[in-house]
Amino acid sequence: MDFILPMLVDGLAASALIFFIAVGLTLVFSVLRVLNVAHGSFYAIGAYVAVVIGGFVMSAGASPWLSFPILILSAALVAALLGPAIERTFIRFTYGKPEAVQILVTFALFLIFEDLQKLIFGVQAYYQDAAVSVLGISDIGGIIYLNYQLLLIALAVVVVVALRVMLHHTRLGKMITAVVADPEVSATLGIDTRRVYAAAFTIGVFLAALGGALASPNSGVAPGLGAEAIVLGFAVAAIGGLGQIEGAALAAIIVGIARVVAIYQMPQLEPVAPYLVMLAVLLVRPYGLFGAATARRI
Amino acid sequence: MKTILTALALSLAAGPALAPAANAQDAPAELGMGVFTFTSGPAAAYGMPGRNAAELIIDQINADGGIGGAKIVPTYVDEGQGGESVVSEFRRLAGDGSVDIMVAALSSGNCMALAPIADQLEMPMVTWNCDTHQLFLGAEHPYVFRPNSSTVPEFVAYAAYVAQKVPDAKRIAIINPDYAFGHDAAAIFTAAMKAFNPDVEVVAELFPKLGTPTFNTEISRIAAARPDIIFSNLWGGDLENFVRQASARGLFRSSQVVLALGESVLQRVDLPEGVIVGVLGDGFWNSPDAKGNEAAQGFAEAYHEKFGEWPVFPGMKMANTILVVKQAYEEAMEAAGGWPTKAQVLEALSDIEAETLTGTVTVREDHDGLVDQIVGVSTGSDTPELADMARYSGEAITPPVGVDPIEWVSTLTPEFAAELPAPGSYQ
Repeated sequence: MDFILPMLVDGLAASALIFFIAVGLTLVFSVLRVLNVAHGSFYAIGAYVAVVIGGFVMSAGASPWLSFPILILSAALVAALLGPAIERTFIRFTYGKPEAVQILVTFALFLIFEDLQKLIFGVQAYYQDAAVSVLGISDIGGIIYLNYQLLLIALAVVVVVALRVMLHHTRLGKMITAVVADPEVSATLGIDTRRVYAAAFTIGVFLAALGGALASPNSGVAPGLGAEAIVLGFAVAAIGGLGQIEGAALAAIIVGIARVVAIYQMPQLEPVAPYLVMLAVLLVRPYGLFGAATARRI
Repeated sequence: MKTILTALALSLAAGPALAPAANAQDAPAELGMGVFTFTSGPAAAYGMPGRNAAELIIDQINADGGIGGAKIVPTYVDEGQGGESVVSEFRRLAGDGSVDIMVAALSSGNCMALAPIADQLEMPMVTWNCDTHQLFLGAEHPYVFRPNSSTVPEFVAYAAYVAQKVPDAKRIAIINPDYAFGHDAAAIFTAAMKAFNPDVEVVAELFPKLGTPTFNTEISRIAAARPDIIFSNLWGGDLENFVRQASARGLFRSSQVVLALGESVLQRVDLPEGVIVGVLGDGFWNSPDAKGNEAAQGFAEAYHEKFGEWPVFPGMKMANTILVVKQAYEEAMEAAGGWPTKAQVLEALSDIEAETLTGTVTVREDHDGLVDQIVGVSTGSDTPELADMARYSGEAITPPVGVDPIEWVSTLTPEFAAELPAPGSYQ
């Protein structure tokens, strides 16, 4: 019983990072109907860019508080540079293609990005923890936590709310919703679906890069980060129901808590905890927690 | 006719005298050496110093004329490509004739996979890391030699150090990597701690997978268990991550932390003062013995100049191993009176006693090495130094040949620990 509060805090903090990975993946799938394995690469690139820019600015003697806008701007930079470019040059050729083709193309992209990361950044781990240091620590239930961990929980909530507002109360969001409902009718009504696809993909890249950037102050950034992210992201997106933002949030919490409970009570189960949850959920709800069976058009 | 008979008689008479010279081979121009280590992935933080050290020591040996005139030509193999590919590379190098001897490998898993292949292909393999005590457990490998330490003496040394440094410790938490090295180390350290102090209990035992980027939940779990001792043999990027994250969350203030591979990250992270750190052997370039060794200091200076860091112990282990190979060839050449055969090199390796840059290594009849263990505490300074060092004789803390290692650990006593060198005794 002594462990309940620490487990809850740990679980939510872990869930926040998992959510950032999964929500972009699920958004891209809901709009573009593309299973994007390269999403893990955007997470890793976001982390690398944040660490490099942050390190450069901090070494110039800037205030550590500047590291927070740097984290967000790094993600925005990655999204602005890579989002439209990758969507136009690779992703658009997979629209309407079988899922196997989509996975092969995006997996190839993922491998290319992995090698590019090694080429550019080498194999050593990078660190830039100014954001963690400046926020300090808190004692919760006798356990010392980083305030940065608590900030991540708050930011995940902000992203859920922001995405809801964007989708339901902005022009772009309404266009995305229309395209998700029926791309052909949307095009007939004058919506430029190409631009909507590019915008949605770029938002997905931003969310992945933001997840990586926000993870970087508290973890080393090294080769392999993207693979870890994409595997977990797919598991969470599948549990929540592909294309479901609220589903991704709930699934992230369930998976995060499951991993934490495993570490506290049965550590040997921790590596498989997300997949046990996925197995249990998909056996009962094959389309995920928030997903629904859809009629297949022929 | 007379001339022919005279020549024939001379050749018959001179034949026996010339025979040894005719059998001894001339040194080849090159000696191919396969060098296996991690140069990619999170494990590269441990593997690259090995790669760098190999490059440097081979350059130094070649500059001095090579081995008996043969220049060492290394072929580096990245263990980061995965076990199956590493085995394939080993087979390819052994098969194409470009390599005469292998210095392999870093990963215990790769060593276990490569050892039977080395025997099968009759390729001499000298391990430079390969810590697992299982390497020679229940299996003879005529072509495999380990002139380095292994898990049992390494983790008995930490338990012995803790028993003297923190005699009242009762509660132990363990966080090790989730594969054989981590699980073996946990079992050996726990067995040794219980042998030295039967009252100790393990209050948390965690095995995160290799390449874990964040240890936050593990840190909370360990903190919640309120341990006196936190033991870890995390390594490479994982160790760096753990130290940074645990330090920020105060774990080093609330418990005595023991980092079995701590010396390897002293230059990369701010380790607080008083953390017990190990070297996995005696390969500390800044130990009292190494400070008295001109070659060791020259190597360290050259390494620092070339790579911008002082050589951490994986680098020293690699350099020491290649020096053992060099000495084996030289001993075999002396015995052969020329360039040795493979059998003569194996013979030399099988009972070698070699002076390395950091101490002496002896290879026993089971091909396993006896190497001293150095343990100390971090000083909190920016330079890679250790305080309160103890140097344990490899012979004293290594199970005898043919004895089950874990059973041997359980026979140890508090008196055994008390008789070992005290922390701070290695000046």
